[in-house]
Amino acid sequence: MKTPLSFCTGLALGTLALSAAAESADLRVYTYDSFVSEWGPGPQIESAFEAQCDCDLEFIAVEDGVSILNRLRIEREGNKADVILGIDDALIEETRATSLIAPHALDLSGLKAELNWHDSDFVPFDYGYFAFIYDSTRVGQPVDSLRALIESDASVIYQDPRTSTPGQGLMLWVKSVYGDDAAAAWTRLASHTVTVTKGWWEAYSLFLEGDADYVLSYSTSPAYHQVAEGKNQYRAAAFSEGHVAQIEVGAITRNAQDPELARRFLQFLISAEAQAIIPVTNWMLPVVDDVELPDAFDSLIRPERIGFTPQQVEQSRRDWLREWRSAASR
Amino acid sequence: MPLKMRRAAASLGGSLRGICGARAGLAGATVLALCLLLTALSFYGLIGFGRGGLDTRLLADPYFHSLLQFSFKQAGLSALLSLLLAWPVARALYYHPGLALQRSFLRLCLLGFCMPTLVLITGLVALLGRNGLLTPLLGENWNLYGLGGILIAHVYLNLPFAVRALLLALQHIPDSSWRLAAQLKLGPWQRLRLIEWPALQISLLPLFGFIFVLCFNSFAVVLALGGGPRATTIEVAIYQALKYDFNIPEALTLAWIQLLIAGSLFLLLARLGSAHWLGVDSARRTRAPRPAAPARTLHLLVYATAWLSLTLPILALLPGLLDADLQRFDWPAILRPALITLILGLGAGFGALGAAYLMLLPVRRARIQHQTKRALALEWLSTHTLVAPALVLSVGLYILLLPRLDLDRYGILLVLLLNTAVVIPFAVQQLRPRLLQFDRHYDRLGRSLKLGVRARLAVEWRFARGACLASLGLVMLLAMGDVAIFSIFGSADWTTLPWLIYGYAGTYRLEEASVASLLLLGLCALVLLIFERERPDA
Repeated sequence: MKTPLSFCTGLALGTLALSAAAESADLRVYTYDSFVSEWGPGPQIESAFEAQCDCDLEFIAVEDGVSILNRLRIEREGNKADVILGIDDALIEETRATSLIAPHALDLSGLKAELNWHDSDFVPFDYGYFAFIYDSTRVGQPVDSLRALIESDASVIYQDPRTSTPGQGLMLWVKSVYGDDAAAAWTRLASHTVTVTKGWWEAYSLFLEGDADYVLSYSTSPAYHQVAEGKNQYRAAAFSEGHVAQIEVGAITRNAQDPELARRFLQFLISAEAQAIIPVTNWMLPVVDDVELPDAFDSLIRPERIGFTPQQVEQSRRDWLREWRSAASR
Repeated sequence: MPLKMRRAAASLGGSLRGICGARAGLAGATVLALCLLLTALSFYGLIGFGRGGLDTRLLADPYFHSLLQFSFKQAGLSALLSLLLAWPVARALYYHPGLALQRSFLRLCLLGFCMPTLVLITGLVALLGRNGLLTPLLGENWNLYGLGGILIAHVYLNLPFAVRALLLALQHIPDSSWRLAAQLKLGPWQRLRLIEWPALQISLLPLFGFIFVLCFNSFAVVLALGGGPRATTIEVAIYQALKYDFNIPEALTLAWIQLLIAGSLFLLLARLGSAHWLGVDSARRTRAPRPAAPARTLHLLVYATAWLSLTLPILALLPGLLDADLQRFDWPAILRPALITLILGLGAGFGALGAAYLMLLPVRRARIQHQTKRALALEWLSTHTLVAPALVLSVGLYILLLPRLDLDRYGILLVLLLNTAVVIPFAVQQLRPRLLQFDRHYDRLGRSLKLGVRARLAVEWRFARGACLASLGLVMLLAMGDVAIFSIFGSADWTTLPWLIYGYAGTYRLEEASVASLLLLGLCALVLLIFERERPDA
């Protein structure tokens, strides 16, 4: 029987031996797990870019977008990334504050006008609107505004804003619609909330099991059901107040080995080729116009965009979380 | 013990050779020290990164009070309900040793205890959610989410374990007690009070403490079924503090509080008695009276209900399979993760079993020498990873090692190491009663026969083989279900089955997720079947 002692020594020696032999790729990209999974965009993006750059691209995946930022905070200048991919717009100020990000110096004039994007450090590669999804075979008359949903008695599942991106999105949404009355709105919503989950999939799978009328997800979710499953009954409810967007961005790190290659990679990400891969693998919208997409994308809702600037989010996130925490637990 | 005797015992102990001797004790102490070092390093990682600060303002925050209150409430209720409901089941099993499928039932109990939480949650939702199979029977106002759902899941996970432990306690009632009861013509109530209760009593408090600690530190169940920010435990709060806020002082404050509360409680309850935990150590068929017809019917009814309750959440997953297109299913994609999960389980299982055996050597030595306090302290230390917040352990090490080690490449080794560390307490709990029993019966004999280490080990192996294999099975199962540690250290190259399930579910592929869940469950059942087969009594 192996003792832990010999196991630990083995571990240490093995690690030393192996790390000496390890070689590094030309371009290393920090991203999140589902991006690199075999059904995510990672594999296709990697082979398409490697075909044109004659280089070796390596994705290093952590759990989710926030974990990319947390990893940078821990590693500081010792980080291995040339590019980070998958932080969202609500986190870019915190990421910029690490002073680990270099300007991209790319021309972003080709991006969709509705994004209204002028950031010199971060490049958007996909986006989506937060939306409540319902099953049209069960909900005949969907609500048409956030206020109507909150005032209704329809059962709702959403995600915890302390642990998930959609949850943060709803927090911004409620705040921008209700302003100072947000606390009362949260308490009202809590009265017909089925459960608040840790992450997106727990909420969404509970919804698919039939546990709620509405679930917080993305405006693009119906496209998945149509394209991959041929199911038409899942729809996103369009809200008259407008929707909050989540914009996923990439950036070059200050310690990139080959900043030029990193820049080319970001440029590639917003090219027509990469933009056609991302929507049908990451199930988000392309950031440039005229991308050829399955018909299912044409039938998605096209909401008006509301919300806050990344600076406002950074300044108020903690207070808004506290507000949610105490109002929703009442 | 008079001083003279104690000194004599100590000098005897000092001259002990054989497996409980000084050299072996040193090996045990070393392993224990290494395990403690791991925990210390993880705290050091967090403290170093957070510049040592604690967030004491938190202690005055009403939110903190409410989460502390909720942690206590749900853990207390979970432990109480598990014990109350396990009691009649254990009695039914005790009074009717020949019940049909009893061995399978006890195996199912172990499976229930180790059931990966994400599988259980899916099963419970399919059963009791708004569209659940049983929901129409539960009335208009039924809601799975909230305290109710948390309690159902916790009872499901812990009741089976309590059944096994209580059954074991009942089996320790000596035959002479029953003969006496028959001579004195004790009625059912008197038998319950005078014979059964004293036998159960010693196990109850430690058992309560063990389940309480497990539920107090509960994470996945609370997050999925809690229903909102009202239902937050300390472990959940630590996760939340570390996630978006990256608020290390707050996380550390919470971690120390959890360690303090769960740790002291565990110690206190361990002092008050000694349960025999999961380890069924003797297959005695006592002469318990066979109850009369009405009681017998009741017992059978309880037994059948227990069977049904334990199998229903698993059966509820099956309809999901019918929807899944098994022809189209990507089987090769699932084979490698299944294999990795098994290997990881085996590695963590053997590692934990070996570590537990070595750690128990000094404990046994202390027991032989009647140094109760020392034994208790050593036992507490060897099970400390049970009460230390698992998140702190993994996040702390992550922060410490990330800048120093290529975790992207070797993270999987840390997944193995940490999984081993967190299941060691379970291996200790399983092995301890059997090994202590061995010492009580054979230590003197072994020494007087001057058996060498090898011979003694051989005897010990014959005696404890069943307990060893069963605890190997148990800790393997626990390690095989891990997602928390993998989510921090794992990488896509080494995807395990539970992580794959999360991956499927996280990208809308819920059918694949349910197929993979059942495969994981099947794998767990297989492991149990192999390792539990050796036990004559289970």
